[in-house]
Amino acid sequence: MTQGRAGPAGSGPGGSHIPALDVPEDRVDGVAKVTGAARFAADRAMPGMLWARFLASPMPHAAIRSVDAGRARTMPGVRAVLTGEDARDLYFGRRLLDRPVIAWDRVRFVGDRLAAVAAETPEQAEAALATIAVDLEALEPVLDAEASLAAGAPILHEHPERYAFLDGKRPPTGHPNIQGGFTIEGDAADLEAVFAAAPHVFTHTYRTPRQHHGYLEPHATLVWIDDGDLVHVVTTNKAPFRLRAQMAASLGLAAERIVVETGYIGGDFGGKGYSIDEYACYLLARATGRPVKAVTPYAEEIGQVNVRHAAVMRLRTAVDADGRLLAHSADILLDGGAYASAKPLAHLAVAGAADTLAPYRVPHVRIVARTVYTNTVPAGHMRAPGQVQTNFAGESHLDEIARALGQDPLAFRLRNAARPGEVGATGARFREARGAPLLEVVRREMEWGSSLPAGRGRGVALGLHHVGAGRLPLTLLIHHDGRLEITTGLPEQGGGVHTVIRRVMAAAAVPESIVAVRQVATSGTPPDPGVGGSWATHLASRATAALAAGFLAWLDERLPGALPAAPAGATLRDGRVVDAADGSTLAALDTVLARLVPRDAPVELSTVYEGGHREGEDDDFDFAACAVEVEVDRETGAFAIRDALLVVDAGTIINPVAHRGQAEGGFVFGLGGAVMEGLVLDGGVVTNLSLADARLPTPGDVPPLRLVVLPTDVGPGAFGAKAIGEAVNPSVAPAVANAIADAVGARLRELPLSAEDLLRAMHRA
Amino acid sequence: MAASADGRLALRVTVNGTLHELTIPGSRLLIDLLRDDLGLTGTKKGCAIGVCGACSVLVDGELMSACLLLALAVQGRSVTTVEGLAAPDGSLSALQAAFIAHGGFQCGICTPGQLVAATALLAHQPDPDEAEVRAWMTGNLCRCTGYLGIVASIRAAVIGEGPAAGAGE
Repeated sequence: MTQGRAGPAGSGPGGSHIPALDVPEDRVDGVAKVTGAARFAADRAMPGMLWARFLASPMPHAAIRSVDAGRARTMPGVRAVLTGEDARDLYFGRRLLDRPVIAWDRVRFVGDRLAAVAAETPEQAEAALATIAVDLEALEPVLDAEASLAAGAPILHEHPERYAFLDGKRPPTGHPNIQGGFTIEGDAADLEAVFAAAPHVFTHTYRTPRQHHGYLEPHATLVWIDDGDLVHVVTTNKAPFRLRAQMAASLGLAAERIVVETGYIGGDFGGKGYSIDEYACYLLARATGRPVKAVTPYAEEIGQVNVRHAAVMRLRTAVDADGRLLAHSADILLDGGAYASAKPLAHLAVAGAADTLAPYRVPHVRIVARTVYTNTVPAGHMRAPGQVQTNFAGESHLDEIARALGQDPLAFRLRNAARPGEVGATGARFREARGAPLLEVVRREMEWGSSLPAGRGRGVALGLHHVGAGRLPLTLLIHHDGRLEITTGLPEQGGGVHTVIRRVMAAAAVPESIVAVRQVATSGTPPDPGVGGSWATHLASRATAALAAGFLAWLDERLPGALPAAPAGATLRDGRVVDAADGSTLAALDTVLARLVPRDAPVELSTVYEGGHREGEDDDFDFAACAVEVEVDRETGAFAIRDALLVVDAGTIINPVAHRGQAEGGFVFGLGGAVMEGLVLDGGVVTNLSLADARLPTPGDVPPLRLVVLPTDVGPGAFGAKAIGEAVNPSVAPAVANAIADAVGARLRELPLSAEDLLRAMHRA
Repeated sequence: MAASADGRLALRVTVNGTLHELTIPGSRLLIDLLRDDLGLTGTKKGCAIGVCGACSVLVDGELMSACLLLALAVQGRSVTTVEGLAAPDGSLSALQAAFIAHGGFQCGICTPGQLVAATALLAHQPDPDEAEVRAWMTGNLCRCTGYLGIVASIRAAVIGEGPAAGAGE
């Protein structure tokens, strides 16, 4: 199947019109990435560097009787072997430090480390691992989330009070096998009464599997301790300051003694917010006095690092005779795996776990989300964490309700979509509710309601994602030679944030040709939150706009001194100082800067953008709708997507090429989760440990895709920019499931959607 | 080939036009030779088992996975990596320029392999249609772009559309 890219890239009518943003971006990282010059963590090396490898537990749950590394220490090239006895009471995590750096008393999943080896070559380290004798006493494992809360279930963490919790106090959980969670209640007092009185109540249960991020760059790190006892950490981590804080807390170091340096990140999707090997590599560097490098073998990446939470979601919704949503309750049970270590939020769940019906108006709501411990790979953040699970459940559930009521699924959604001024089901106050206009585009573009041949069906799903907020510092260095250099701690993981910075400078009349964006280590910039949570474009564009304004004001103040003959109202345009009256050039900017900036003392301007969201105020969201047409083979259950439409709500678009790439990439990412991906566990062990078996989409799996961008200038970023990276992928799976139901009347309530399950469902139907 | 006293073996290989003569362990993989011995870190190690395509290189013009080849398998042969795709004066190839202009990459980790594979495609079939592009590029996974930007970049390079700012060709 072939297709071109349909629909224009870029902002179009609706967004702010900024001429400098009309042209496609020239990416800051472009030349480096197409020539092989771009340096990623695994590309780094140091003289005298050792290689680390780790021995993983072969059992999902066991008591450690002994770990004998005597022989390993005598193996060729081995410089250090550490076992749990060398790392007692050292735990790590993004919020809750509950995962041992090296286990000493107990292992809780196939992947817990039993030993760490540093050797001259990776092969020597690997050979040494094979000689370590481990004596484990198997314990009864907890293999799924429901079993974790069953009466008499083994308790996986007997002393949670020993675990440090960063930035506050861990909320009480009520059960030792619960990691965390939250409850959202809107008018919950009346909830059961509304259910009891409602003409229709629907209850359905949906399931989604663990999924791996599928970035092609495995986690990598290089750790050394310099002569001044500073700890240097080169890493794939996308939030360097947060890793610094996590390492300080885990290892008992002062944060200022740790310098974290992230290069380009080779795919993130949430997985690069979590680091594992850095901790043991520090211990090995300390033990050997040498730099220590670790690159996670890809099979360990898939099976042992962190995954999307598997979920069991029970949804119950009351509807009136006209098809209006009256009340909704959801019980969202998420499999957190052996440790909560990979989760950054204080509730130790995933924020999107509330988003079953987030874009809709529902008067009475109660949503309970819980993450629980099991003896499986720890779960963490992955692109639209929680939304991928709950959007599949909620949008499938709505479709089932509409069909049961004999209503058109699109009209049913339109009837219930929150309108401007209304609050969504989770209590979110939308600055601009965009669900209904997106659905109207779906109606038009899909020719919704027109008849289809037998075996074909249409499905739609609506979703939203919060545009991240927060605080971001940014620094500008003005150089004597006319170069402007912006230094930031924000890593570039592909989203294009460094290009956002340069483009916003250009929009303020500072030409791209003189602006460099340079990422610096934690020692060279004030703390920032890193990238993630769909906040990068918002925060970076606003901080840059402030910096650009600061630069222009700085220049304005000094122009009379630098150009005494210049008329009042001289201004910067296209990199030249011009007479505002007639546009004539008064001087080149570099000439002016040479007069204002000493040769060896660049002028430093800095800004801090305070872009946090305040409780009770309107908030910003990206809405997205996905619609597909499928064709089902009734003989086999095989289905194919014949047409796909993505309608995305966008703010003013700063990087049009990257924006489109995020939308398209988000669609295919969602498609993978919809129809092919999912980790298969056997006895707690991930069995599909290669990218071939974990089944990422390839070029041939991508169906024809039409993209419609619906811009607005109501966004929190500069010029009204929003986000896009996590808005799109959740809606793909429910759109496909709904199209299948439309085609053949059989409903799939578990991901990934498969021909086998569909054939079974058709036989049942 | 002669083994030295410590069991290392002599290798002569031309990489991006430069002849290298070195001695290596017989078990050395081409990917490690390129990255660790020659410092050519543009070629990436992803899955390391020949699935993802991040380590794609050309051996005498033929597309290969460097993670699956012993270094000794390129004895006397010529290897091209991503570092060898631009002209000696640094100007970008049409494919490299098109990848920048048309969203052929985001994070960039698969990009060296994508570019090497696409270079091999155009050497083999200078005017591929979209189906041929997709079929050929199936050996190179990309998690960021959803492939549409990559296919569009290759097609643009074929028809000579839209060079990026500052790019050659």
